[in-house]
Amino acid sequence: MAAPTRPRRATVIAVLFVALALVMLAGVGFGAVSVGPADIVRAIGRAITGEARAAGDAVIVDIRLPRVFLAALVGACLASAGVLYQALFRNPLADPYILGMSAGAGLGAVIALTLTASATALRFGVVPAGAFLGAVLTIVLVVRLASLRGTLDVTSLLLAGVAISYALSALTSFVMVFFRESMTSVVFWMMGGLTAASWPYVFMVTPMLALGLAVPLFATRELNLMLLGEERAGELGVDVERFKRLLLAVGALLVAAAVSVSGLIGFVGLMTPHMVRLVIGPDHRVLLPASAIGGAIVMVLADLAARTVLAPVEIPVGIVTALVGGPFFVWLLVRRNGHR
Amino acid sequence: MSARLAYETASVGYPGVTVIREASLAVASGEIVGLIGPNGAGKSTLLRAVTGTATVSAGRIALLGEPLDTLGSRQRARVVGVVPQSVSAAFSFNALEFVLMGRHPHLGRLQHVESADIALAEEVMERTDTLRLAAEPVDTLSGGDLQRLALAQALAQEPAVLLLDEATSHLDLNHRLQVLDLVRELADGGLAVLAVFHDLDLAARFSDRLGVVSDGALGPIGSPRDVLTAPLLAQVFRVRAVVGTDAVTGAVTVTPVLREEAVTGTQRGKVLVVGGMGSAAPLLRRLHLAGYEVSAAALNRGDVDQAVAEALGMAHVALPAFGEVDEEAENAVVRMAEDADAVVVCEVPFGRANLGNLRALAGAAARTVLVGEFGPERDFSGGAAGALVDQLRAVGAVSVADTETALREIARIT
Repeated sequence: MAAPTRPRRATVIAVLFVALALVMLAGVGFGAVSVGPADIVRAIGRAITGEARAAGDAVIVDIRLPRVFLAALVGACLASAGVLYQALFRNPLADPYILGMSAGAGLGAVIALTLTASATALRFGVVPAGAFLGAVLTIVLVVRLASLRGTLDVTSLLLAGVAISYALSALTSFVMVFFRESMTSVVFWMMGGLTAASWPYVFMVTPMLALGLAVPLFATRELNLMLLGEERAGELGVDVERFKRLLLAVGALLVAAAVSVSGLIGFVGLMTPHMVRLVIGPDHRVLLPASAIGGAIVMVLADLAARTVLAPVEIPVGIVTALVGGPFFVWLLVRRNGHR
Repeated sequence: MSARLAYETASVGYPGVTVIREASLAVASGEIVGLIGPNGAGKSTLLRAVTGTATVSAGRIALLGEPLDTLGSRQRARVVGVVPQSVSAAFSFNALEFVLMGRHPHLGRLQHVESADIALAEEVMERTDTLRLAAEPVDTLSGGDLQRLALAQALAQEPAVLLLDEATSHLDLNHRLQVLDLVRELADGGLAVLAVFHDLDLAARFSDRLGVVSDGALGPIGSPRDVLTAPLLAQVFRVRAVVGTDAVTGAVTVTPVLREEAVTGTQRGKVLVVGGMGSAAPLLRRLHLAGYEVSAAALNRGDVDQAVAEALGMAHVALPAFGEVDEEAENAVVRMAEDADAVVVCEVPFGRANLGNLRALAGAAARTVLVGEFGPERDFSGGAAGALVDQLRAVGAVSVADTETALREIARIT
């Protein structure tokens, strides 16, 4: 049941999917060498049918396509995680980056990276596992810290998130200094980048996103009920404690997926659900899938900007999202204070 | 009688703290059981234990005969609906979507609300006077509207047991009665209701039985008339109150007169007050608060002044309703007047029945204060009262215009 003034669910999703397809085409097309949409489609066709490759195919199929796909997947992961944490904390300012989870996942991933430096084959399993563990431990710690004074209010949540984020970043730097030889690549990764994108990364992130999105998509009604407050959600039949644990775990999985392939990228999880909510309202039946696709769009665009604005120099995509997202966060804060 | 909701010597509280010890209470289909008690006594905790927000540390709570801990959250929510004290609406669902959230426990994992659910939601919104708000975003609505939407949401659960936690506290007079009338109607239709009340008059008017929660326990449960007594109100709420009967509804009414703590410690003189028909009540209260040792002359039972004198524990001569001040009563008043440092005659009419009160003051005329003019409109004794007043004035009684000046005069005399 949608309000008469709001667009219908199927329409929203369809429009967003079309937009995503167009943005992805642009993402593949623009770069050092620009490629037209028709050439892209033909190159993909040849790759699928196994036909002999044309001259420019390698750039499209092996470099740009995995990169654009990975950007889309990472954006979807971050935006979905944002939606889940915003419902969990009943707060539109919650975001994996601000809550310190990205930093936690980052530390977990860096530790996993340094421990398995010699065994590349292990990385695809170990790095995400490290990131997941880091994310889970961080959010548990942040929530504990924020509720020390009794109730879990917004200010303490944000403060705890920022404090833990700093401490974890320092620890990450420490680990990096300790293992000096791998520092450059790790630093670049930490700033948030998709330069290392390749098909194996895409295949690793896809199932994590699928699981991380499927579970909450089966529980959109519970997500809506959580917005009424934990006590009310319980009265209306949600097993609140179990559901909170589930949300924390699923959110951490999504954050871990994003962080292990692209490092620390902030504000996508904050901005995207917020913009989507403004258009379609708070109903998670639409909000969650729409935010996932919206996050993918935002991320592909951000990566495109990162690659092309200062070409041939490439900016880490995390810097692009922070440049846009920082002021957006400030605007949100100011607007909320104005409401009180 | 099979109880829909039963507390069986249940101790409830929060991890590490027991708030209410060994509460026993059964709420049956068709009845409203009210809970009253001071703030922080644990009334809400008793309700919260049913929905799992508070914990049961000993004993048990049963719903439809099943122990609470054998029911899952959804199962429980199909049986129990709650209307909380306040409702927050941080996100902008519209009112119909908000009410439809009450259907959650009835819907399967992949099921979404169907036309039958919407029809039910619209019906409960109609009954709670919220249907006209259906398309409004809830975060723009007033507290009162939200409260009625929360009731609609709870009713959308199609509960067998309804818990109200001071659910009418944010409502205006009209909607308060509307909501409670609706709850009464639902109870008459078979719903079992357990309601925490803030307002004792509403509690008395709408509850079939009342329970008092204080000092970590749920006291005995009985009809409002048996439970709401002046001694209980003094003990539980530390308030001296007049317990009466509402002239229109016939329900028990509670009029707080003063707080125990408000009486000053300083002891001042003894004052005898002659009143009746409510003419003395404000003065009795004021004198008591000021620390005077107040007594009242002969008063009829059922008279407001008598109820106030009794609530405040003042010595007075209690006459039967419509009874006359007979010789025995008059002699008693004479002794009280002799003993008093000051006597006040309030602005009460005098007739044959209460003339004795005036006659008894003869010996104390010099320290008597007469409130208000005494004209023919106050004299129903064929001139006898007027003559007595004139005699009192002749030997020193002072006339004052109103209660304020009377208080000053009393302070001067004593």
